[in-house]
Amino acid sequence: MSDMRAPRNSVFGKLDRLMPIFKRDPLVAADPVTDRALVAVIAILTFLAALTACAAQFTTMTAMRWQVMMASEVTVQLKPQAGRSIDADITRASDILRGTSGISSIKVLRREESAKLLEPWLGSAASIESLPIPRLITVQIDARQPPDLAMVGKTLTDAVPSASLDDHRTWTKRLGHLSDLFLTASFGALILVVVTTGLTIVFATRGAMAGNREIIEVLHFIGADDRYIAGQFQSHFAALGVRGGVLGGGVALLLVLGLKLFIMIPDGLQSSAISEMLFLDWQIIMLTLGVIVLVSIVTGLASRLTVYRTIGRLA
Amino acid sequence: MQAFAYRSVGELVRFENVGLRYGVGAETLTDVSFSIEPQSFQFLTGASGTGKTTLLRLIMQALKPTRGTVVLFGQDTSLLEKDGLTALRRRMGIVFQDFRLLDHLTTYENVALPLKVQGRDELSYRAEVMELLSWVGLGDLIHAKPPVLSGGEKQRASIARALVAQPELLLADEPTGNVDPSLARRLLRLFVEMNRSGTAILIATHDLGLMDQIDGARRLVLADRRLYSEANDV
Repeated sequence: MSDMRAPRNSVFGKLDRLMPIFKRDPLVAADPVTDRALVAVIAILTFLAALTACAAQFTTMTAMRWQVMMASEVTVQLKPQAGRSIDADITRASDILRGTSGISSIKVLRREESAKLLEPWLGSAASIESLPIPRLITVQIDARQPPDLAMVGKTLTDAVPSASLDDHRTWTKRLGHLSDLFLTASFGALILVVVTTGLTIVFATRGAMAGNREIIEVLHFIGADDRYIAGQFQSHFAALGVRGGVLGGGVALLLVLGLKLFIMIPDGLQSSAISEMLFLDWQIIMLTLGVIVLVSIVTGLASRLTVYRTIGRLA
Repeated sequence: MQAFAYRSVGELVRFENVGLRYGVGAETLTDVSFSIEPQSFQFLTGASGTGKTTLLRLIMQALKPTRGTVVLFGQDTSLLEKDGLTALRRRMGIVFQDFRLLDHLTTYENVALPLKVQGRDELSYRAEVMELLSWVGLGDLIHAKPPVLSGGEKQRASIARALVAQPELLLADEPTGNVDPSLARRLLRLFVEMNRSGTAILIATHDLGLMDQIDGARRLVLADRRLYSEANDV
């Protein structure tokens, strides 16, 4: 039978030295080729699971940030109406807004700026003078003392009939739904990957135990109990699970951090950017570690259940 | 030859009207009744295919009887739980006909295995394993793995493994079947030594010459699916 230890210079050999606690027990006559294939499969599955989790985390965080941004700003739209001076309406609306508590600042978009916003639909060549282009006022909300937006909208409409207030609620809600949907899908994908990992371990454990049937029989005859024999197989496969998990999770972590670094390079690595990256990366590291721990627990449990079921049959 | 009548005081093994059938065919063993006393020495003999190995497998609980009662160390095996079975097996040493050494372990590791599976710390048994290996003439081969050992060396390693936990009962299936007469005599002396130190021995063999070397050893003979005891029963 071949030596079960991985060559010293291989990735597996290095992992052996880094993690002596997970050293494979010699009583299980493992097949190094099968073990490496299994570690590779678990590594790939962990990599996919970690990427999925990181993507879900990124999306959720970004959606939350957008929602906060959208909620901190509302827009007042003034439509040109026959017989009314839009400039007078803007001045009146601006005065009302400035006098309302809970509003930190307002900005009146110039006609050209409003036209610029419509450019994708109307084109730049269109004569804005001849079109009844609505005018916009962006309003920044004081997040600590937000105003009653329904009341502000009513006051505005009463004073300036051409004005309407858009608090972006519809968009915020849709963004929230989209974020929730993505999070649910990511969670589902994560569950599928974890289940696949468990099934892979189940089949591998059963195969290994069938291959070691004679050894199991001998161990029984010389006085080993099921717990001892199960422990040998369980620790062997748990070790493989951890190796695969660390390998896949580590590569996923490096990839995510590398991508972030790559995105930041055009702006230069300023200290604030680095500290922001370190903060976000702490969450990513925790998430990846969580995935590794989850994969390890699943591999440990799957091998334990399989070993006990199979050992009963073999005995 | 006379039909065997068992005694019931302090036996290590007791069979009462044991029958074994594989599948739906005729019984391989019929109405087997016998017992093994502590510190006794017996041969189990019979022509090839008469069920010597099957009888040993019944004792080591690799097989369950179709009928009858098997009592080991005073415990009815039909009532045994798994933990109880493990405890009984730890009181036996087994020498398999085909050695059953683990090829990926060294000679030392193979011999030390029964102590290791009991959860004993290696420091507590290393010296006694080394002493036993020297005693069976394998002191220079502790790092060798079974694939490079000769038949005789494997046989001695297998015997050492069976003896290392100082069992009360040693079962040996054709232990001299793969070795030359000179080595067979040496191995037999090993069994006699063990017997003198308190281990009951049951050797399954069809080698009459081997049996003749031990005076007073009981002979259990399997023939026509039944077990008989020869006249020189002790």
